[in-house]
Amino acid sequence: MHHDNGIWVGAEDLMRDEAFAQSSQSEFSVENIDQTDGKWTASRRDFLKLMGFGLGAATIAASCEIPVKKAIPYVTKPDEIVPGVANYFASSFVDGGDYCAVLVKTREGRPIKIEGNTLSGVTNGGTSARAQASVLSLYDTRRIQHAGTVKDGQVEKQEWGVFDREVKAKLASGNIRVITNTIISPTAEKALGEFLAKYPGASVVSYDMVSAAALLEANQKCFGYRAFPHYKFDEASVICSFGADFLGTWGNPIQQAHDYAKGRKVAGKKHAKMSRHYQVEGYMSLTGSNADNRIQIRPSEMGAAITALYAEISGNGGGPKLNDKAAGAIKKLAKDLQAARGKSIVVSGSNNVAEQIIVNKINEMLGNLNNTIDFNGATFSRQGDERNVAKLIEEMNGGQVSTVIVWGANPAWELPNAGAFTDAFKKVATRISLNTNLDETTLLCTHAAPAHHYLESWGDAQAKAGRYSLIQPTIAPLFATRQAEQSLLTWADSANLNATSDQPYYEYLKANWQNSIGAGQTKYLTQDAFWEMSLHDGVYENAPHDITAVFDSAVAVDPGAVSKPSSSELEISFYETVNIGGGQYAHNPWLQEMPDPVTRTVWGNYLSIPLEWDGVNNINGWKGLVDGDEVQVEVNGQKFTCAVVRNFGQAPGTVSIALGGGRTAGGCGVGFGVNVNPALKQENGLTQYYAADVVVTPTGGKDKHFACVQHHHTMGVKAMGTEEGKEINVDEKSLGWKGFQGSLTDRSIIFQTNVKDLQSLEHKLEEFHHEAEHLNSQTLYPDNKDYFGTGMKWGMYVDLNSCIGCGACQVACVSENNVPVVGKKEVARHHEMTWLRIDRYFYGDFENPKVVYQPMMCQHCDNAPCENVCPVNATNHSMEGLNQMAYNRCIGTRYCANNCPYKVRRFNWLDYTTADVWPSNEERVFHVEGEDKPYYADNLVRMVLNPDVTVRTRGVIEKCSFCVQRIQEGKLTAKREGREIMDNDVRTACQTACPTGAIIFGNLNNPNSEVSKANKAAGALAYKVLEEINVRPGVQYTAKVHNANEELFS
Amino acid sequence: MLLKRICWVFTLVIAASASLIAGPTKEAGKELFVANCASCHNKNMKDDLTGPALSGTEDRWSAFPRKDLYAWIRNSQALIATGHPRANEVWAKWKPTVMNNFPSLTDEQIESILLYIKEPGGAPPPPKDPNASSAAAGEEGLPWTYIGLAAILLLLAFGLMRIVDNLANVSRVKDGQAPLHRTTYQILTTKGAIAFLVFATILIFGYKAVDNATRMGREQGYKPDQPINFSHKIHAGINKIDCQYCHDTARRSKHSGIPGANTCMNCHSAVKKGTISGTSEITKIYASIGFDPITGKYMENYENWTDKQIEELYKKWIGQEYMSANSLTALDENGKSVVENQWEGVVKALKNDSNGKIQGPIEWVRIHNLPDHAYFNHAQHVSVGQVACQKCHGKVEEMDIVYQYSTLGMGWCINCHRETEVKFKDNDYYKQYERYHDELKAGKRDKVTVEDIGGLECQKCHY
Repeated sequence: MHHDNGIWVGAEDLMRDEAFAQSSQSEFSVENIDQTDGKWTASRRDFLKLMGFGLGAATIAASCEIPVKKAIPYVTKPDEIVPGVANYFASSFVDGGDYCAVLVKTREGRPIKIEGNTLSGVTNGGTSARAQASVLSLYDTRRIQHAGTVKDGQVEKQEWGVFDREVKAKLASGNIRVITNTIISPTAEKALGEFLAKYPGASVVSYDMVSAAALLEANQKCFGYRAFPHYKFDEASVICSFGADFLGTWGNPIQQAHDYAKGRKVAGKKHAKMSRHYQVEGYMSLTGSNADNRIQIRPSEMGAAITALYAEISGNGGGPKLNDKAAGAIKKLAKDLQAARGKSIVVSGSNNVAEQIIVNKINEMLGNLNNTIDFNGATFSRQGDERNVAKLIEEMNGGQVSTVIVWGANPAWELPNAGAFTDAFKKVATRISLNTNLDETTLLCTHAAPAHHYLESWGDAQAKAGRYSLIQPTIAPLFATRQAEQSLLTWADSANLNATSDQPYYEYLKANWQNSIGAGQTKYLTQDAFWEMSLHDGVYENAPHDITAVFDSAVAVDPGAVSKPSSSELEISFYETVNIGGGQYAHNPWLQEMPDPVTRTVWGNYLSIPLEWDGVNNINGWKGLVDGDEVQVEVNGQKFTCAVVRNFGQAPGTVSIALGGGRTAGGCGVGFGVNVNPALKQENGLTQYYAADVVVTPTGGKDKHFACVQHHHTMGVKAMGTEEGKEINVDEKSLGWKGFQGSLTDRSIIFQTNVKDLQSLEHKLEEFHHEAEHLNSQTLYPDNKDYFGTGMKWGMYVDLNSCIGCGACQVACVSENNVPVVGKKEVARHHEMTWLRIDRYFYGDFENPKVVYQPMMCQHCDNAPCENVCPVNATNHSMEGLNQMAYNRCIGTRYCANNCPYKVRRFNWLDYTTADVWPSNEERVFHVEGEDKPYYADNLVRMVLNPDVTVRTRGVIEKCSFCVQRIQEGKLTAKREGREIMDNDVRTACQTACPTGAIIFGNLNNPNSEVSKANKAAGALAYKVLEEINVRPGVQYTAKVHNANEELFS
Repeated sequence: MLLKRICWVFTLVIAASASLIAGPTKEAGKELFVANCASCHNKNMKDDLTGPALSGTEDRWSAFPRKDLYAWIRNSQALIATGHPRANEVWAKWKPTVMNNFPSLTDEQIESILLYIKEPGGAPPPPKDPNASSAAAGEEGLPWTYIGLAAILLLLAFGLMRIVDNLANVSRVKDGQAPLHRTTYQILTTKGAIAFLVFATILIFGYKAVDNATRMGREQGYKPDQPINFSHKIHAGINKIDCQYCHDTARRSKHSGIPGANTCMNCHSAVKKGTISGTSEITKIYASIGFDPITGKYMENYENWTDKQIEELYKKWIGQEYMSANSLTALDENGKSVVENQWEGVVKALKNDSNGKIQGPIEWVRIHNLPDHAYFNHAQHVSVGQVACQKCHGKVEEMDIVYQYSTLGMGWCINCHRETEVKFKDNDYYKQYERYHDELKAGKRDKVTVEDIGGLECQKCHY
């Protein structure tokens, strides 16, 4: 059934919930406020006393002598450092197989921000939320600070020399196993090779937390390459994904997102053509939420769905039976695919070799191989195979292993069989960890040889075949840690490692690049120039271009070997989120507080349950559950308790939960969410990210601090008023998690259409602009047209069709603007501070809706409602079109936030950044579990702060500033060079972070600026949010266009 | 009678205020000493420098009239020429060094200096900016004028009250009632009078509170002692070194930059002794960076030297220089104490709580401190605006000890932004301001100020 109102945000707004209207009368969520806390019981006399004390204190404070401050120069100032001016170093973010070519912004020698490296052919300057947040983990207070033996949860310090002697003695006898995740560094592989050569009997066990082992094996068998191919999403006109989250977590997501968006830009094109994206899945993934068509299946039906498509295309049946609705849809999908021979892509995220082989066969039959699927750009982001681990456990149990070295992996927590692993692991005599934090595995180790953070390291990466990039240190090591590769080479007594050098691994790396990776290169005249320039650029690309993959005809395609549909009542999917991944990023507060794009929950993992429509008026959560209700989940012999979140698009009869919650050691992620890894089943040794036979029982309890931001700061919502008996507008009447807000009115927040109906949307928008213009001209206060007519006028353009909701911009904004982390409890109270949020809207069919993501930040209205109501003129307008916020002027009335139609202003309810001096203000601020200081009170963490942006204190409003510090810096550069300002001078943090180019910023007064051109090109599809209320925003959006197959389910 | 009384009170008030402003003070003395005497006379008053140590000056001149001492200070050569015995005694010892003339010093100022010479110790509060001293004096004078005026008004009010009272009594008598004889006390304790008093008190105190609150944290005239007695007057004034030679990042960064010791060494690897300070100050740079002035080489592995090794090296240097200056072959008693004192000075300047070593950076006391929420960029002002350093920092080239010249208050910034003309035609950046160019051409506008291009907007400095 289609919803006549167009757009909705949640279930209650569809139902016009009356309870919501009642609770909307109060401004705050009462449920989450501790009633015993801060109760005001003081009498008038107390008030006078306090006032007197306040005056006295102020007087004393005023008469205090101002502390003497020091100005400490260098003894010998390095030439390249100019205090106050940022330096950028090209490097690469690598964590397991996750990769991003980056520029690291350093100020006075400390890294503070990650930018994308536009020279990279892999990421094209785009970034991910994980790459953006990686700078914060450099300043993780829980990093291990020195080498030593692990005893009672502590590392007892040893000097490296002593430590090395001890380790070498242990390594001398017996078999060694090195446990790693994917390694994409060729030089690290070389170092590892030297280590293995030194110790016969040593071998490597490599696995990935979220495995692609089946895909790798299938590609090896079919094509002879154990890698992901390069999928040319920009050239494909039909894309079909069987549960592969290729925009978020699967394959090479940054490049895939970039290419995908490229194939879907319609704004400004005459005869708009865009790719058509089908997603076949059970839970709604980030990729699925972007799809034009979702075919909902139960996770156990994945094999059946793939074979159904195979049957349609090849004419050979034989697979298990798929449900009728999906089977019908697959038939239509097959037609679409066949119509786009050689211009389509079929991918699958399943971890079943037979299924992956069938997918390969389908691609081959569709003529996609070597067209849209190209092994010249093979991606190495996943290399591990969890089947090796089972063998290792056996060996460890059998006493065949004397030493285990854990490098980057955390098997004692992340393996499905972590329990068995732990028991076996303890039987090994020497257990050495190279991990940076005291995580679950390191705690079980005997020795810790902590490695550097990547921002302190030398290194390299080969994310794709022939596309190399370098990692260079951007800060001297903060602690007495050591490069992991150096540790291995030291223990191997490598002749190639110059141990007396200042930076032994640097020399090792350089030699390997000059002699091996760059051997025979012709781009530069000398090998020295090759090294220097590669280091400068961060990348060296010499991708192969003559590979033609051939499907090995000997490989059997066996529809009978795929996974079988289960008949159980309920099934569960486990998935990786774009923020904390499989849990390896759980100790990064920026990522924890970045909402999962689909469920929009933070700080933990929650069970997504489907919504059910009774066919009449009611849409209820499965079993009548509402958000925050606690349930007990029983699956695969495991029991865990978690809260639920109702999620549109979750297939009926299925639930889903993210991986990565419930870390038990190593950092700030401890205590958030539940560990679901033990519930993962393995089939033929391959981890399956779904399970049938799941039992979910409501416990009757509630998550007191259920943190989902979907219904915070919503705009233009309406509900049925109890007194009025009709629909009323309910703007920013924030509610607790219990009551949802009402329905969106038909206000101009989102415009969306199917590409087929593009013209009618253009007409509709034209009418709408006309109407809005008419309304807006009915004003007593005419424009001062001259006001913005000269100099610069800043504006932004957001292409909703390119936005995939990945959240990189949000974390970039947090990083750039010193936006504080507030913690789960504060988010539950609607106190999250993010300046940029990504709103998620639904439209279409209740049971299988489409999603629109909308980045929403301060719109910098030229007729801003917030400015008029500020009693102290703390927020006002600049002649460059910026809505300015002067923190030191703000007295915290919050009138502006109330009057903001976009709900983008944030109030510092607490002293989140510990900017002021009163310790009592720090009590309720976010603390890492077990630490007595607030998170931001630690000087190590504060090193990440951007020195050009004021750290706000309690009691003031803050909001997006269009990165005014970057504007000022860009203007100064232009002034000093005596030229007009150019697009490259000013780019906002969100703009540079975006992998798909959805955000463009610049000077609207210059008709040749990128933003002016984009605005113009968007033509009739362009609109401004709430255009009709005459606030005249400075941000322009373009309508969302899907390319739905309307006959899919008919 | 009343008038007479008023006049008397007024005179009294004026006299009292005058006596409060006048009179020699130690603070004024220090200021004068630093400005006039310190370049030749040692600040510690005990050791000779270019001129003799001044401690005990008054005792040595006690046998002569005070005005002789004044004359000596104003123009020593003139007094010597008169054949004054004490003057010639000093001349005999210090010939041919001639003391500068200070004809402009008043008796009172000389007394202030003498007061300071007598007790130079302690750390008196930082002096006010001498260039702004007249304004400051004006400010101090102001309250007394107000108090005088207030007193007159009060007396008038009191007189009026009596008149009103009398008139009321007249009308009472006319109505056949007995006249009321209210005492002054009764009048002053009427509800109206008390209300007025309370109101006035709140007003005055409120005004003062706001006024003082605005001034909080402002440190105009802040003139802290620095670890090195570095004189901008000698470097920028006499030797005419460009400001941006040392503060080289001012043109390209928000910070003007305090030069590192390596910048000092560009000259001081050759200039090893100061004209005034001799070895005492420059040795501090050497000890910071690890330069051996005897061999003229940087020491290897200096960061691992022990304090003892460093002490030996630099004491040798100081002693050697003392001996050569005094043509000695061995250190005399005075020489030994000079070496000790100078070495102590080096240690005191370089070793502190945050840096427990002699090696390492020189920790200067920061003079200009903007609040964290104010963004100031030197490059913008120096490179683009081409504002002279002196505009904000005063005539640093005339300062022996640098102090904060400007208030650095927001009003001060804003005023300058209102008045300063933008280099509109010289910089292509401003081409984008087409309307202003048109207006300039059409003669509708004669200049474009910083204000016109948004220089008064909050988010130009606060973000």
